[in-house]
Amino acid sequence: MLARVAENLYWMARYLERAEDTARLINATTMLLMDMPRGASFGWEDLLKVVGLDEAFHQHYDEASENAVMSFLIQDERNPSSIFACVRLARENTRTFREVLPRESWEWVNELYLYTSTHLGHALDRRKRFEVLTEIIRRRQAVVGLLSGTMSRDEGFQFMRLGRNLERADMTTRVLDVSYAINLPYQNSQYYDLIWMSVLHALSAHQMYRRHVDVHARGHKVLGFLLNDLLFPRSVRHCLHEIQFALGELPGVEPMRRLQGMLDLVDRADYRALAANGLHEFCDDIQARLADLNAVIGQTYFRAAHPQKMTQSLFSLV
Amino acid sequence: MKTRAIKARDHFIKKPCVQIGDQMMKIDCGSYPLTSGFDELLEAPGKPRNSAEGLCDYFAELPSDELEARHRAVDAAIMAAGITFTVYSEAGNIDRAWPFDVVPRIIEKAEWDGIEAGLKQRLKALNLFIDDIYHEQKIIRDGVFPAEVLADSKNFREACVGANPPYGVWAHICGTDLVRDGDGTVYVLEDNLRVPSGVSYMLENRQLMKRLFPELFARYDVLPVDSYTAQLYDMLAALSPREDERPEIAVLTPGVYNSAYFEHSYLAQQMGAHLVEGPDLVVLDDDCVYMKTIEGLTRLDVIYRRVDDDFIDPEVFRADSTLGVPGLMRSWRAGKVGIANAPGSGVADDKVVYAYVPQMIEYYLGEKAILPNVPSYLCMNESDRDYVLANLDKLVVKPANESGGYGMLIGPKSTPEEQAKFAELITANPRNYMAQPTLSLSTVPTLCDGVIEPRHVDLRPFILQSKDINVTRGGLTRVALRRGSLVVNSSQGGGSKDTWVVQGAL
Repeated sequence: MLARVAENLYWMARYLERAEDTARLINATTMLLMDMPRGASFGWEDLLKVVGLDEAFHQHYDEASENAVMSFLIQDERNPSSIFACVRLARENTRTFREVLPRESWEWVNELYLYTSTHLGHALDRRKRFEVLTEIIRRRQAVVGLLSGTMSRDEGFQFMRLGRNLERADMTTRVLDVSYAINLPYQNSQYYDLIWMSVLHALSAHQMYRRHVDVHARGHKVLGFLLNDLLFPRSVRHCLHEIQFALGELPGVEPMRRLQGMLDLVDRADYRALAANGLHEFCDDIQARLADLNAVIGQTYFRAAHPQKMTQSLFSLV
Repeated sequence: MKTRAIKARDHFIKKPCVQIGDQMMKIDCGSYPLTSGFDELLEAPGKPRNSAEGLCDYFAELPSDELEARHRAVDAAIMAAGITFTVYSEAGNIDRAWPFDVVPRIIEKAEWDGIEAGLKQRLKALNLFIDDIYHEQKIIRDGVFPAEVLADSKNFREACVGANPPYGVWAHICGTDLVRDGDGTVYVLEDNLRVPSGVSYMLENRQLMKRLFPELFARYDVLPVDSYTAQLYDMLAALSPREDERPEIAVLTPGVYNSAYFEHSYLAQQMGAHLVEGPDLVVLDDDCVYMKTIEGLTRLDVIYRRVDDDFIDPEVFRADSTLGVPGLMRSWRAGKVGIANAPGSGVADDKVVYAYVPQMIEYYLGEKAILPNVPSYLCMNESDRDYVLANLDKLVVKPANESGGYGMLIGPKSTPEEQAKFAELITANPRNYMAQPTLSLSTVPTLCDGVIEPRHVDLRPFILQSKDINVTRGGLTRVALRRGSLVVNSSQGGGSKDTWVVQGAL
C-alpha cells in the first residue's frame, strides 16, 4: 500500500469519526441543557473546552453565545475540526484513493458531503439541530457499515480502523475529563447522579452502561466503563484493542510497543481513587500518549510519503 | 489538555457545481426537426431507422413527466457518483458534473464489425510506423513518408531511438475519433495516441442507462462494454518484465487537479491497480522503479501513465517537471518497467502524420485502408497551402499537435479577422497546419431545453494492443450540445451519450 494513500485513509477515518463525535456531543449537550435548572452555570463556553477549541474560538468570536458556538463547531470552515470541515476534508481525501475502496463508498461519502453542505445552516436552529445532526450521524454510520460489509480486511481497512479508534479514544478522554470538571460544582447536591449520567450521555454511553453496569451512575463505575470496559465500543480500552488488532495486521513493531504502555495504564488504574481525585491528570496522560502514538504511526508508515532524499536504507522499518 | 492533532491541508478545496435538470417533453419523431445531414436514428421525419424503431417507440410512449423524472435521476446519480471533469478557466478550476444525454446512439453490429476491423488495421500500422521511425526509418528511405515531416515533428523523442518495447508495440491505448458525413460514410478524424481520455465516461454512461432505463434493455441485445477494464488489465500485464509473478501495475496521474483525474482513479479502481503520482515512485541504481509503500519500497512492473511525455522524466525531458519520476526513461530503456503508452508514441499523433496513415497501411500491411481518412490538405505542400489560404472560409484548419479542440479555425463560422490571423500563422509555420473540408457531422436526437433536437456527434472507440488487440464495443459518443455546433469536446460545452452496438431489435 502506498504510504501517501495509507496516510489519507487514516486521516479520512479520523475526520469522519471527529465529525460524528462532535455531532453526538452537541446533540447530547442540547438535550442536557434542558434538564439543568435555569441559572445553572453550564454555558456554551464549557462545550468549547470539552473539545479543546476555546482558544481557537476566541480568535474569531468575542462572546460564546449559543449561536456563535454552534456555528463554530458545526459549520465554520475556519475551525478545522468543525463538522463541515471534517466532512469536507474526508471527502477530499476519499477522492484521492477511490481506487482502494469499494466503489459505493466514494458515492456515500460524497453524498454525506453534499447533504452536509446544504443542510448545516439549519443546525444552528435548536428545533432543526437534532434532526440534521442525527442525519449526519446516520449517513456517516452508513459509510462505516458499507466498508465493514464490503471491504476486504486489507491494509487500507486497517489504516481506517487505526484512525477511527485513535480519534474515538481521544474524544472519550476529552469529553470525560471536561464534562466531569464542568459538572463538579454540583457534587453532593441533588444533581450528583445527573453529573455522571450527563457524562455518559455526551458519549452516547448511557444505555449500554445501564444495561451492563448499573442503573445508577456512580463515579467509579462510570470511569471503569468509559476507560476500561472491554465490550463497549467507545471505551478507551476497547479502542486500544481495536488499534492493537489493526497494528497486528500491519508491519512494524514500535507502534505496538507504545500501545502496550497505554493498555497497562487503563488496566491497572484505581477507578475508585480516580473518581475522587486525579481524573484530569489521568486523561491528560492518555491524550499525550495517543498523540505520541499518532506520531509514531506517521513515522513508521507515512514517512515515505513526504519528500526527502530516497535511498533503500531509509525505508527500513522503524 | 493536549492540542488535538489535525493534518496540515496540502491543497485548497473546490466547491462542486450543481446542475439541475431542465424541463422535458417527450420525443415525438414526427415533429423532430431533421437537418439535411445524416441522422443516426431517423431516416426521414417520422421514420426511424430499422434498429432505432424500438428506441423511438419507447421514448414516444414514455410520459413526459416520467422522462423528466428519469432525467433528474440521471443528474442526481451523476452528482452523487461525483462523475466530474475539470474545466480550467480564469476564474479558477471548476469541477463540472458530466453532461449526459439520455437518448442513446445506436450502431448495428454488422456495420460495427467493419469499423472494428478498420480500427485494428489502423493501430497495427501505426505501431509498425512508430517502431520503424525509432529504428531504421525504412518508410522514409522508401520514399513513402517525407523526411521533413519527421524533422519538424514536435513529438519525436530522440531519447526513444533504438528502444525495443515488448511486441514492438508503442501505442497500447488509442482513442480514434470517427465522424459520419452527410452521405453516411464513416471517416477517421484523428488518432489520439498520447494520453487519450474518455473511456471511463463510456463505461459510466452504460451504468447510468442500465440503472435508469432498465426496461429499454429488454427490447434490445445491446453488446456489453464492461470487458474493457479486464482487457486493459491484460494488455498492461502483458508488458510486465517479470513474467512469472503477478505484476504490480499502477496508473500514473498528474494528480487530483487534472481534468481527467476522475478517469485515472476510476480505471485504477476497476483494475485493482495502484493510483500513483510521480513523487510516489523512485528509480534506484538497479534501474528498477519502486513504489513508496508503508513497508518500504515495492517494485513496480507496469505503468499506465496519464502524464505527457514532456513531464514523465525530468532527467530526460522537462527538468522542471514535478509530475514525473527521475530515471523513468532509463528504467524503461533497460526493459525494467513497462510503460503504456510508450514514450515517443506521440510521433504518430500529429495531424500531418495522420494524412499518411492510408499509405502506412499499404506500406506495412499490404492492405487497403478499411476506414477512409477525411480528405486533408497539408500546408507544407505548396499547392495544398495555396488552396487552403484561398478557402479559409470553407475549411477547418487544425494545428498539427494540439488536442482538445484548441487552436482550430472553423472556416464557415469564423470572422474575416480570424481568417487573416490564421493566414499569417500558416504562412509562418506551414508544417504545423493542415486543413480539412467542413463535414456535416451526423446528428442524434438529444434533449435540449425541453425539446428533442438533432445535435452533432462524433464517436471515440478505444483500441488496445500489446500481445493481443481489442476494440471497445462502440465507444464514447460525444455530442455538441449547442445548436449547430460541431465542437464536441467536453472542455468546450460537449456532452455524451451511451453508445449501443446492437445485435438487432427484438
